Amino acid sequence: MALLDVCGISDWVKEDGFNAERASVDKVNHFNFAAQTPELAVPVGVDPAEFLRPLVDSEEGVNGVKINLEHGTTTLAFKFQHGVMVAVDSRASAGSYVSTQMFKKVIEINPFLLGTMSGSAADCVYWERVLAKECRIYKLRNKERISVSAASKLLANMVVNYRGMGLSMGTMICGWDKKGPGLYYVDDNGLRLCGNMFSTGSGNTYAYGVMDSGYRYDLSVPEAYDLAQRAIFHATHRDAYSGGTVNMYHMRETGWIKVSQEDVGDLYHRFYSEKK
Amino acid sequence: MSHGTTTLAFMFQGGVIAAADTRSSCNGLVACPASQKILPVHSHLVGTTSGTSADCALWKRILARELRLYQLRHGRRLSTAGAAKLLAHMLHPFKGTELCVAATLCGWDGGEVETCPLEHGSKGADQQENRSMMGSETDDLAKTAESDSISQAEARGKNQCLSPAMSGQHCTAGGKQLVLSGPSLYYVCSDGTRLQGALFSVGSGSPYAYSVLDGGVRWGLTVEEAISLAREAVYRATHRDAYSGNCVDVYHITSHGWTRRDREELREEYYREKERERVKVKERREKQEGVEDGQSSGGNKLN
Repeated sequence: MALLDVCGISDWVKEDGFNAERASVDKVNHFNFAAQTPELAVPVGVDPAEFLRPLVDSEEGVNGVKINLEHGTTTLAFKFQHGVMVAVDSRASAGSYVSTQMFKKVIEINPFLLGTMSGSAADCVYWERVLAKECRIYKLRNKERISVSAASKLLANMVVNYRGMGLSMGTMICGWDKKGPGLYYVDDNGLRLCGNMFSTGSGNTYAYGVMDSGYRYDLSVPEAYDLAQRAIFHATHRDAYSGGTVNMYHMRETGWIKVSQEDVGDLYHRFYSEKK
Repeated sequence: MSHGTTTLAFMFQGGVIAAADTRSSCNGLVACPASQKILPVHSHLVGTTSGTSADCALWKRILARELRLYQLRHGRRLSTAGAAKLLAHMLHPFKGTELCVAATLCGWDGGEVETCPLEHGSKGADQQENRSMMGSETDDLAKTAESDSISQAEARGKNQCLSPAMSGQHCTAGGKQLVLSGPSLYYVCSDGTRLQGALFSVGSGSPYAYSVLDGGVRWGLTVEEAISLAREAVYRATHRDAYSGNCVDVYHITSHGWTRRDREELREEYYREKERERVKVKERREKQEGVEDGQSSGGNKLN
């Protein structure tokens, strides 16, 4: 704050994070995007977690109103001998309304790091862009690319500050670093899991059925492309909140490539004509 | 999706396959690892059950009783569509209570004909035969597949169409009503739903099973392929769903009645699959090494 520095009172006026007692309704509290000092983007005078808890956690809600945060999508990622396969659908829905069939649910953080999105579109897009910013800053400070493990940990630590405040985000951070292919699942609760195969969203159960049937670590590249595409397709076929197109990425040692973007209608005709 | 089970049923050219897991759970406790979720109703009709075990068992017995009374009064079996309607109407007074029954009725309709000008005396004799053949061995399956196509050809000769889309539905021929014979599949739920279809899966494990079935079910499957597909679908669901597991039951319904495959433990299936993967990886590795050796020796020859 330049004016505070000029007046000379910046040393005894400190802005350090959310404090319900000190924050008053008449004081201006702009969010500075945590650029200089660590801070939380929460409104003044209200504890968001306390406000939201009866609406989300209790059985009957508040006056019969209950907020269910569902992740209406299907995304999947699995590690195999040639890297990491990432496949997502592209439908964004608001309740039962389909907002768009062309939503990009994979964010390209850098040529060696991808993030998938499921849950609230706004939360995912914002927090993964903040993650992209942090990864870039890391690279500039340390002269080497951030590892997948560290990137996923940064994201998990950022969102755990807002635990209970209504974020809805289920993301998979996929990349290739010095230790080889990396795949982490990060949740809005701050859950961070390392694994070989994940699928998130309302259609994840359908995708798991197909993925489990066909998955082996030693899949060839065309087989892995086919498996990932089939898994997302079957999820979009049965789940109402998934659809649009299947976007596929392949994370290799030399970085990621976008494999294909196919409409699920075309995939339906291709798979069903194969069956005969 | 709140019923803790995985059951599925689909129809194909060889009849109807019904499969289910065998785990009965009660709020996180596995109350019974060897329960029966597919209950035979009569010789040509089985029902898969999902929901409250007690409710399902009772209502299946009530349905079986009503169908037997119908058979005695009218001299012929009630079609699957009729049985589904009967069950739906019996459950209707309990709508809004805690009764929870979600069943798929899988049956083979015996070609009951109403006010039809065509001969159906021989079909009555068939029905007598079929009622006495119950619970035969699985090596009968090959025979039933053949005889199915024969009986279909006979029926076609008698001016009845047995195309899959039309089975179970009424069709008018010469102004008279005809009930068609063949495989039939209905889903009945205690909230009043009654749906006809070619493929159903019910329970908490059903999404996992649906995707496997969608990729493999088609009318032209052989009996062996259909049974292995049903087993695979239940296996995948039990692998991921906590409320499904233990064993898998598979029933196959044809014109001769239902036959039951021996109950199989899915734990063994897991180990068998791991072994198959190991063998495949080894084969692939050997093939790659063989190719590399061939290439290197080719290079030497050129030199």
